[in-house]
Amino acid sequence: MTLLTVRELGKRFGGVNALAGVSFGVEEGDVLGIIGPNGAGKTTLLNCISGLYRPDAGDIQWEAASISGMAPYRIARLGIGRTFQIVRPFPSMTVRENTAIGALFGRPDRRLQPGAALAEADDVLELVGLGEKRHYPVLRLTVPDRKRLEVARALAMRPRLLLLDEVMAGLNDVEVEQALQMVRRVRERGMTIVLIEHVMKVIVGICNRALVLNFGRTLVEGPPNEVLKDKRVIEAYLGQRYARDQEPKAYPPPEGEGNKQG
Amino acid sequence: MNTGNRHRPGWRRRVGLVVAALALAFVVLAPLTSIDAAQQAGLPLLTDKLWFRIATTVAMFVVLASGWNIIGGLTGYASFGNIAFFGLGAYTVGVLVADRGWPFALALLVAPVVAAAFALIVGLPLLRLRGHYFAVATLGVGVAVGEVINNTGQLGASTGLFLPIVRSDLAFFYLMLSAAAVAVLTTWIILRTRFGYGLLAIRENEEAAAVIGVNTTLYKVAAFCIAAALTGLAGGIFAQWSSFINQENVFAISDNVQMILMAVVGGAGTVLGPVAGAVALELIIQTLAGGGTSAVYSQVGLGVLLAACVIFIPRGVIDFFGGRSRLSLRYFRQTLRETSA
Repeated sequence: MTLLTVRELGKRFGGVNALAGVSFGVEEGDVLGIIGPNGAGKTTLLNCISGLYRPDAGDIQWEAASISGMAPYRIARLGIGRTFQIVRPFPSMTVRENTAIGALFGRPDRRLQPGAALAEADDVLELVGLGEKRHYPVLRLTVPDRKRLEVARALAMRPRLLLLDEVMAGLNDVEVEQALQMVRRVRERGMTIVLIEHVMKVIVGICNRALVLNFGRTLVEGPPNEVLKDKRVIEAYLGQRYARDQEPKAYPPPEGEGNKQG
Repeated sequence: MNTGNRHRPGWRRRVGLVVAALALAFVVLAPLTSIDAAQQAGLPLLTDKLWFRIATTVAMFVVLASGWNIIGGLTGYASFGNIAFFGLGAYTVGVLVADRGWPFALALLVAPVVAAAFALIVGLPLLRLRGHYFAVATLGVGVAVGEVINNTGQLGASTGLFLPIVRSDLAFFYLMLSAAAVAVLTTWIILRTRFGYGLLAIRENEEAAAVIGVNTTLYKVAAFCIAAALTGLAGGIFAQWSSFINQENVFAISDNVQMILMAVVGGAGTVLGPVAGAVALELIIQTLAGGGTSAVYSQVGLGVLLAACVIFIPRGVIDFFGGRSRLSLRYFRQTLRETSA
């Protein structure tokens, strides 16, 4: 069943077309990876889906009903949870309280009271590996742990679709491996996931589909391995000359910093 | 949260609670010695006119600081316009009692409603602003409402309104004390409900709260209306108590600054912080201003106190009773680091 459908989505900031006609669908059980050079519009896309931005063109549908321009809290209660690339915890609260807010407000069905929400937070914290640190104030957490907390807070909402915005960015190899295992555990629970990622290992490792954005447009969409070998993708990341030289064995290095060859 | 996660209450907290309970018992019971029957029975008079004036004022500022705390401390929106709610509450009672001949008790019930309704109208647009912009915009509202009333003939213009004088120090004291109890209880209840958690989430990070499912607009406006209702209630009582109201005594911006100082110095975002702040600051103000010519020192003293509090105890004096040792040098160094970051 199709959960999310994005059609010809457009978003402008002044003269910049951050999104200029992006279309894709997310089926139940999908793990869709979104990649693209910096400034391709990945985070803008997530902000439109979660309601923080109002799209200028196109439509976003959740189970065939438009949610375009709906208030963020209503979208959240429909079952769309998200994390932020630059983490946004509630700094004066503990890890457990942070997570409980997700359980308190994100559920569409029943209204939890604070006590029950705190208890449910514990389950989620075990899943992301923060169980032992649940009474820590957020400010004592390391960067990787803060990223886990972002995921925990979104999971506590029991979403049907989870949007992850670069949960691996800024982590070292060991931490990436741990985060990868965390996302796998979440996927094994049957969660549908859309994730933005620069680390290609992650895209190949857990996604069943990949979508490449460039200059606010869909460049390529398909199975991760094929997408990463696509000439247009290599061009977008490394420039035309590099793509020409490397054909046909090319595989783009993980950190795309735009056109290095100009 | 700020108040709820203290796992091991230390001796300082216990001492604080005992002292507070004794002080509260004295404040509640002492005025009874002024009743005729008590005097005839030979009890010592513990409370004179001055005591009543100061105690009622302190109770009033407990309401104002607690009301401000709900929007400023819990929700994180520093309102400089709460004095407008105080003035509107006062003028509601003033007009209904002085012009329409309503009984005071009935008029007092309308005061919080009028204040909350006004908060709803100005809150919807203003609560879209954040930080300094919200502070400045609400300051503008506070001044504007006072000026409008000051220039409205039906409301007595600059002459003000005179209410029939009711002489009962005891009644007004207990009335204001009840309002203070309502304000504290409201804060306590809010902090234990889903609503309270939502307000704290908005204060901590509004966008994160929104994508998690908190109806931020509704919650902010509701908090603003609750703060306004409490503040309007205090204003209504004040109108009948002082029996004379004009722009200067019910729309004073300095009173708005004072309620913020009390909440911040005492501990914004906590239940008892604003109470501690209101009691401590009002008593200091009264002491400093007592000498007539030395009234100017009152202002200087307040300024120094605020600066010291913001630098050394940004979480408020109530924090001293949190359980862990907060009087250590290490604690001061830590807070210094946090505030200078």
